[in-house]
Amino acid sequence: MKRVSFLAAAFCASQLFAVDFSREVLPILSNKCFVCHGPDGTKKEVLRLDSFEEATRDLDGYKAIDPKALGKSELLIRLHDQEDPMPPRKAEKQLTAAERDILTRWVKEGGRYAKHWAFVPPKKLRPDWTGNAIDALVGRRLKAEGIAFAPEADKATLARRVSLVLTGLPPELLLLQKFLADKKADAYGQLVDALLASPRFGEHQARYWLDAVRYGDTHGLHLDNRRGIFPYRDWVVRAFNRNQPLDEFLTWQLAGDLLPKPTLAQLVATGFVRMNPSTAEGGAIPAEFQAKNNFDRVETLGTALLGMSLTCARCHTHKFDPIPQVEYYRMMAFFNSTAESSMDGNKYEYGPTVKAPADIAAWAKWEALNARHASLAKQPEEKEQAAAVAKEIAVFKKSFKPTLIARDLPKPRQTKLLARGEYNHPQGEPLRPEVFEVMGALPKDAPANRLGLAQWLTARGHPLVSRVLINRVWQRTFGEGLVRTPADFGLQGEQPTHPELLDWLAVDLQDRKWNLKAMLKLMVTSRTFRQSSVRRTKVNDPENRLWARGPSFRLDAEAVRDVALWSSALLDGTMGGEGVKPYQPGGLWKALMHPGSNTKNYIAHKDARQYRRSLYVYWKRTSPHPMMTLFDAPSREISCVKRSRTSTPTQSLALLNETQRVEMGRRLGQRLLREAKDDADRLNRLFTLVASRKPNAAERAACMKLFNKLKQRYAGNAKDTEAYLSIGDSPRDKKLNAAEHAAWAQVAITVLASDVALWVY
Amino acid sequence: MNSLPVTDASVDLTRRHFFGECGYGVGKLALAGLLTNSFARPTGTHFAPKAKRVIHLFQAGAPSQLELFDNKPKLKALEGKPLPPSVIGDQRYAFIQRDAAVLSPRFPFAKHGQCGTELSDKLPHLAKVVDDVAIIKSMYTEQFNHAPGQIFFNTGFPQPGRPCLGSWLSYGLGAVTDNLPAFIAMSTGGGISGGSALWSAGFMPGKHAGVRLRNSGDAILNVSSPNGVDAKLQRDSLDLIGALNRRRLAIENDPEIATRIDAYEMAFRLQTSAPELMDLKSERPETLKLYGVDPKKPSFARACLLARRMIERGVRCVNIIHSGWDAHSNVAGNVTKNARATDQGSAALITDLKQRGLLEDTLVIWGGEFGRTPMVESNPTLNRKLGRDHHPQAFSLWMAGGGVKGGMTLGATDELGFHIAERPVHIHDLQATLLHLLGLDHERLTFRHGGRDYRLTDVHGKVVKDLIA
Repeated sequence: MKRVSFLAAAFCASQLFAVDFSREVLPILSNKCFVCHGPDGTKKEVLRLDSFEEATRDLDGYKAIDPKALGKSELLIRLHDQEDPMPPRKAEKQLTAAERDILTRWVKEGGRYAKHWAFVPPKKLRPDWTGNAIDALVGRRLKAEGIAFAPEADKATLARRVSLVLTGLPPELLLLQKFLADKKADAYGQLVDALLASPRFGEHQARYWLDAVRYGDTHGLHLDNRRGIFPYRDWVVRAFNRNQPLDEFLTWQLAGDLLPKPTLAQLVATGFVRMNPSTAEGGAIPAEFQAKNNFDRVETLGTALLGMSLTCARCHTHKFDPIPQVEYYRMMAFFNSTAESSMDGNKYEYGPTVKAPADIAAWAKWEALNARHASLAKQPEEKEQAAAVAKEIAVFKKSFKPTLIARDLPKPRQTKLLARGEYNHPQGEPLRPEVFEVMGALPKDAPANRLGLAQWLTARGHPLVSRVLINRVWQRTFGEGLVRTPADFGLQGEQPTHPELLDWLAVDLQDRKWNLKAMLKLMVTSRTFRQSSVRRTKVNDPENRLWARGPSFRLDAEAVRDVALWSSALLDGTMGGEGVKPYQPGGLWKALMHPGSNTKNYIAHKDARQYRRSLYVYWKRTSPHPMMTLFDAPSREISCVKRSRTSTPTQSLALLNETQRVEMGRRLGQRLLREAKDDADRLNRLFTLVASRKPNAAERAACMKLFNKLKQRYAGNAKDTEAYLSIGDSPRDKKLNAAEHAAWAQVAITVLASDVALWVY
Repeated sequence: MNSLPVTDASVDLTRRHFFGECGYGVGKLALAGLLTNSFARPTGTHFAPKAKRVIHLFQAGAPSQLELFDNKPKLKALEGKPLPPSVIGDQRYAFIQRDAAVLSPRFPFAKHGQCGTELSDKLPHLAKVVDDVAIIKSMYTEQFNHAPGQIFFNTGFPQPGRPCLGSWLSYGLGAVTDNLPAFIAMSTGGGISGGSALWSAGFMPGKHAGVRLRNSGDAILNVSSPNGVDAKLQRDSLDLIGALNRRRLAIENDPEIATRIDAYEMAFRLQTSAPELMDLKSERPETLKLYGVDPKKPSFARACLLARRMIERGVRCVNIIHSGWDAHSNVAGNVTKNARATDQGSAALITDLKQRGLLEDTLVIWGGEFGRTPMVESNPTLNRKLGRDHHPQAFSLWMAGGGVKGGMTLGATDELGFHIAERPVHIHDLQATLLHLLGLDHERLTFRHGGRDYRLTDVHGKVVKDLIA
């Protein structure tokens, strides 16, 4: 068995080459030394190791690193001091022998510092590769390990995989058939194009962004009342479907209101700034929440766009990353002048707000009307027509719904550093809005407001934003990121599995004018992606850090539900609008909520809204839908860029017993009975829907065994059959044989609850 | 030493490693072993524990310490007068002004037990077991609103997103049983300001989250089979899922699939163990009487009795949340009502645990997120009178069992009950102490997330040794 030894590989490489400070030394310093000798060492006498200037400072006759006499460097001496070593014997984190060796050689080679890799703008080391650059860079590493790419997954599996990754649903049956029958070389490329063009694409991709920005339909604290914000969610879905360049996507959200003559869409996009949980709790002090709301914004920006946890710097200079506390508050100054009150008043229209189209179809209609009006208005002879359309627009606008937006106060609020992060301990001079120095400066002529901030984030030389975004795109495509700590690109984060690839993709994203669909196409058409996901006997790489097999992971909560809705033909395709409320066991909200809350009663929708995609399920932050939280959806109270994927008994119970699951099984059973001619064919159909393939002999035998048992049982028990087939609001075809229907329903639920349906593979 | 550095990926590294080492082909063999007890694998203590489990009786809304535990006769002398400005300092209040008048204690106090601990007459049941109880009169916090205060008490941080005590215990000590979750939460009384953050696993994998036991409907969500499906049918379906998943495991060899197979088996057991847990028929009439429980009616006392049943069955941490203590008006009425709802059940729990020999290694904690002001809250526009506002500077709570010294009082407030005069105990200190009693070093029990090792106690907390027997 070949064992991949990363450490050993790094070790051998470093014997031949000079030590790489950023990739080899800095992680050790950060992890083992900075706790005491890091950037937050404020006392003058403390030896610091976080910069060359500090490490070479004369400390009364000795220096941590003495460039003139490297052998006399205190660092070197203490590393090997038997009596009084560093780290001290009682320190929790000790150095390994390999780490001690790296530090030793580094000092002997001159003890030179370099910036942490993630703070240096990414570059394409080699701009052009023959074929797909992903495969070139993954393949180069595989070759070095003496491993070949895994064979390509079979066509059906691949079609299901790419469809789930791009749209969150299995491939439509016609699309699947066409692809399987198509022997042409570009058949797969065409399938990918069709999926990228599907409106389901934007809905699925939007989910990840909504996690990152902590989208919720309620205020989040105390009464946790309703909040007018869903037009923002609809805007996000549309932006992905229209493939809005990501730099513009970010700019509108951060500063749409500050653009010249902002459009309605640009204003709606600023809901991003307003996404912080808020309160109007009786005892809360406005100044306190002014600070808390802004902490939340700064830290979300850190997680979602910079891949940095900034929370430490709220109270003190960051222990590991070069973020001084004062810079945290300078960043906060960008957000501190927004016009809304710091307390939400428990109001749905927690102003400022604008009114926007009530769902995604309404957006399209509104834009069409506006376009028509604009073209008519240019023609003097169409004056009457134009007036009629203007009137139509005015009437249509009455259906608009309010949504929270950002506006700045005419006169900025003063921002000061808050000692220990306490709102009532402002300190020092008022601070100007300014960006983190370690990540470069505001572009020349950029205004010192949110628009300037957006310009900085999307500027070519920004070291983090493109890396952080493309890493998450990779993560949702391949199941894990190139950087496995997507929320931390800082010194404590993990190194990328393929640094050159991450940088190549980050630059390529910008070269392609921030074109997300193009980047996704590059990823899903790569050989790397198309590999079989089967674990390989001869490759010991359980976490798939070499990418020597295809992606394999459990579907997210939304997809678990959507796949079942889709396969049972219950899915309602309506896009956008106020959050929908599928079945939920009684009393969940009531048991939690303050009597004064307007979200204490959950009233499930009785119509087609029951069956909308999960993206549109009403998101109450203190109590999201249990089918979401059970499957690891975050509460959306804080930014989340990586969900956990657990397997728990409560999930199992829900998959088999929850009302909507049972209903979906019933409808899927009904579909099988109606659409296929015999039992063998029905089972084929069931597997084609959820697995894009027919069952193999073993699966067929196991399923038919259960089916026959069930059929017999239900045939002899009309009461149970009736009870079972009455679950859920949707109608049932009573012409079907009830026992057969019930038996197929239960087989369908069961297959839907197995990993055949729950996993991408 | 056994520190627990685990990353936030949900993957069970040990098991993954195990499969990695064994490689392809032995999946089935390994699986057979894993199916037996993967949910019951403790990850280990740092030193010998005094307590093995926790029942947390969380009193949300902040009970008035001045009407329950902290007798301040001096307030009577000052009744109607403002507190000296030197006492109040720059403290800001939610509703009251700094010159609000003093409100005397509403109820008489008396000494109880051999220890002579003072309690108000609203706690007659606690008075009978007070020799087993340690009262801390010098608790304090920085949070003075309910939502952040409650989240802080339970997670060590005032905003949602971090794991709570029960999650830390599930992560650090694992489960004892295969039949019930390691961490269960229940609530009685009204709404909960802090919301589900009070039993959330935060950034930890969802398996460490508290499973909510409900007062109505299914005790655990979806635990009942649908109409028309019986246990045998459910078993048959599970067998099919097992067959399909095992086949996938054989192909993909992904240990996560084995975890899911386990999860289905435990789910099946839950369908029997949850109704059994909730069924109070096996309880003797004396026991029901001790708690004052009507088995059919949800109540705090019933939750206390269920808590005992849970820990008997191997649950590691139970959090019972009782809301309703927020006495901005009529503090006397509020305390009377809520003490009546909670006193008998809480005291019965101590007695019952003791009789069964469970008290010595079961830690019981009773208290809220902060305290209440010595000054009156009264506001004609809000129709409030004779209430008390939020008071983070000093409050009381009690602990019993699990290695805590019984019959003691720790700390004291000044004669006005405003500031702490002796032995301040911060919430982080309390959390450090709880973990300590459970054999965990609060500085070493860490979880890596977003590039940092997190602790329940953040970067604070000192173990309160005086409390430990």
